[in-house]
Amino acid sequence: MKRNLKFWTRYNWEFTGLMLAIAAVLSVVAVFGAEGLDLRTFATVVPYFLCIGAALCILLSNTGTHTLYMPLLMSMGETRRNVLLGFHYFRALTIAVTVALCAVIWLVVPGEVSSQGLRSIPTILCVLIIASAMGSIMGTVFSKWKWLGTIIIIVICGFAGGTVGFAGATMADGLAVAKTMELAAYLVTMPWWLAAAVPVSLALDVAFHWMLLRRQEVKL
Amino acid sequence: MSLHCENIVKTYSGKNVLHDVTLDLQPGKIYGLIGRNGAGKTTLLSILSAQNPATKGSVTLDGDQVWENRKSLSKICFSRELNANAESGIAAMKAKEYLRIASTYYEDWDKTLEERLVKLFDMNPKKKLGKMNKGMLSMITIVVALCSKAPYTFLDEPVAGLDVVAREQFYKLLLEEYSSSGRTFVVSTHIIEEAADVLEEVIILHEGKILLTADTQAFVDSAVHVSGKIEEVDAAVTGLEVHHTETVGRSKGVTVFLKPGQKVDESRDVSVQPVSLQRAFVALCGEEETRQ
Amino acid sequence: MNERLTEQKSIYLQISEMIETDILREILLEEEQVPSTNELAKLYTINPATAAKGVGLLVDEGILYKRRGIGMFVSKGAREKILAKRKAAFAENHVAPLLAEARSLGISKEELLTMIGERKL
Repeated sequence: MKRNLKFWTRYNWEFTGLMLAIAAVLSVVAVFGAEGLDLRTFATVVPYFLCIGAALCILLSNTGTHTLYMPLLMSMGETRRNVLLGFHYFRALTIAVTVALCAVIWLVVPGEVSSQGLRSIPTILCVLIIASAMGSIMGTVFSKWKWLGTIIIIVICGFAGGTVGFAGATMADGLAVAKTMELAAYLVTMPWWLAAAVPVSLALDVAFHWMLLRRQEVKL
Repeated sequence: MSLHCENIVKTYSGKNVLHDVTLDLQPGKIYGLIGRNGAGKTTLLSILSAQNPATKGSVTLDGDQVWENRKSLSKICFSRELNANAESGIAAMKAKEYLRIASTYYEDWDKTLEERLVKLFDMNPKKKLGKMNKGMLSMITIVVALCSKAPYTFLDEPVAGLDVVAREQFYKLLLEEYSSSGRTFVVSTHIIEEAADVLEEVIILHEGKILLTADTQAFVDSAVHVSGKIEEVDAAVTGLEVHHTETVGRSKGVTVFLKPGQKVDESRDVSVQPVSLQRAFVALCGEEETRQ
Repeated sequence: MNERLTEQKSIYLQISEMIETDILREILLEEEQVPSTNELAKLYTINPATAAKGVGLLVDEGILYKRRGIGMFVSKGAREKILAKRKAAFAENHVAPLLAEARSLGISKEELLTMIGERKL
């Protein structure tokens, strides 16, 4: 198990790099749009981009992880159970790193957005976990039933494009902070159904993959 | 103390690929798994290494179940044949990355050997697997198999795509590793002749069934080719196990498998010649075609 | 030791014959160490068990002997033993097939002896 964790930990850091890159692109787009933006306030908005980057990465990387790494690790003598556990450890690690980074930024740069952000952390955590679990299921669906996957990818890309466009547009309006505050305000109070969806989606994800993985044939 | 599988059945959409295979792999031997394409060699190796589930039957290592057992699995390495076509996700992976992951998962990975082999095979570790030719991919599977140091190591068609020089190199490396470590190797191949002298035991898989497991030399020695006039040949081989009959005019040639104590009647006017492993294999598995 | 292996005979027999020939030709001297089975295996690309079987054959005949922990050595008098053995087998291995071929070609014994007489030994 030690070797398994070592692999997934390393994969997590490679993955974090990608996540940061996406967050950086989103931030740059936003900065270009917003002239004379106060750097301090801007810094407190960055964590939201980081979260969006994380969610996108998690959603899009699933196909690769399920079709490539899982069989590969099985072919190298890891048990199916450990491969699945390792995958969830990796997911947990990625989410933890994302949330921790957000928290650190908000703590270091205090402000209106920051204090609201800090209060939204439980909600962000829930959203990321649900996105991860659903994304994981979709990733497998994508590789097993390609047509369905294509539709899902189009939706996700649309969502991503919309987010980038929205980020650009809001920043251009010079309403960055206000808009973010307004949007992020929804995150402060966590609806009960969101909290309830966390264990449900996690259980669905694990059960779905265990069912498939249990009888899966290794093909490289 | 052995890797043992019992009554393995594997069915793919109603068709039996393996029928009731029972096999015992003793430690410290080089086995050759030979069979025609589609005989079930890869399927059998996948099941022995718990990479694929069997429809029926069990695989045990020193008495413990292998399936989902990390302790047993860490003693087995099945270096799969890599098919890095464009569709496979592995095509985008660099050789270096593949080897790094292997070195993470195999407990006794030999880093020094890895470096030596990468140099010897003149590999470019930065190259993507999808951009490699068949020979280079074979070399990677060989590196993983040898460096894994797993007590039971399976190689699936390791010499496919290698040129003659590289094949000879591989067999020498295999023998070197085998002599110094006493690991058990199972090498599946259909390039039989040059492997024959390396294999201590030969396992012949034919249409999903094990036709034979025997000491390679003993098996080769037991097979002889008898030829001459039809009547003379028939008389010389009465009561013996005859395979692969070929007749041209008045002349006839047969391959005979002698059981201990049996002999071809050499008082008859016939030529009795030794047979190579490849000829013996063809005689055993290629019968249907010659009968038609 | 550098002959090639053929398919005509069991590998282990060829290995033992090659060692014998090397002793006859004094490539290997008495009381000298012979290559280990692993070295032989690598040299000929054969299984070490096969090489060991060939070497074992010579040990049984007293041509080689084992020094514990060091390896295999050529026995004293090995060369004589091999000479005697090969001479004894000469008639069976070489004369008999010669006569058989002569018979099927209709060569008489006299003709055959003349042919042999004409050649230098």
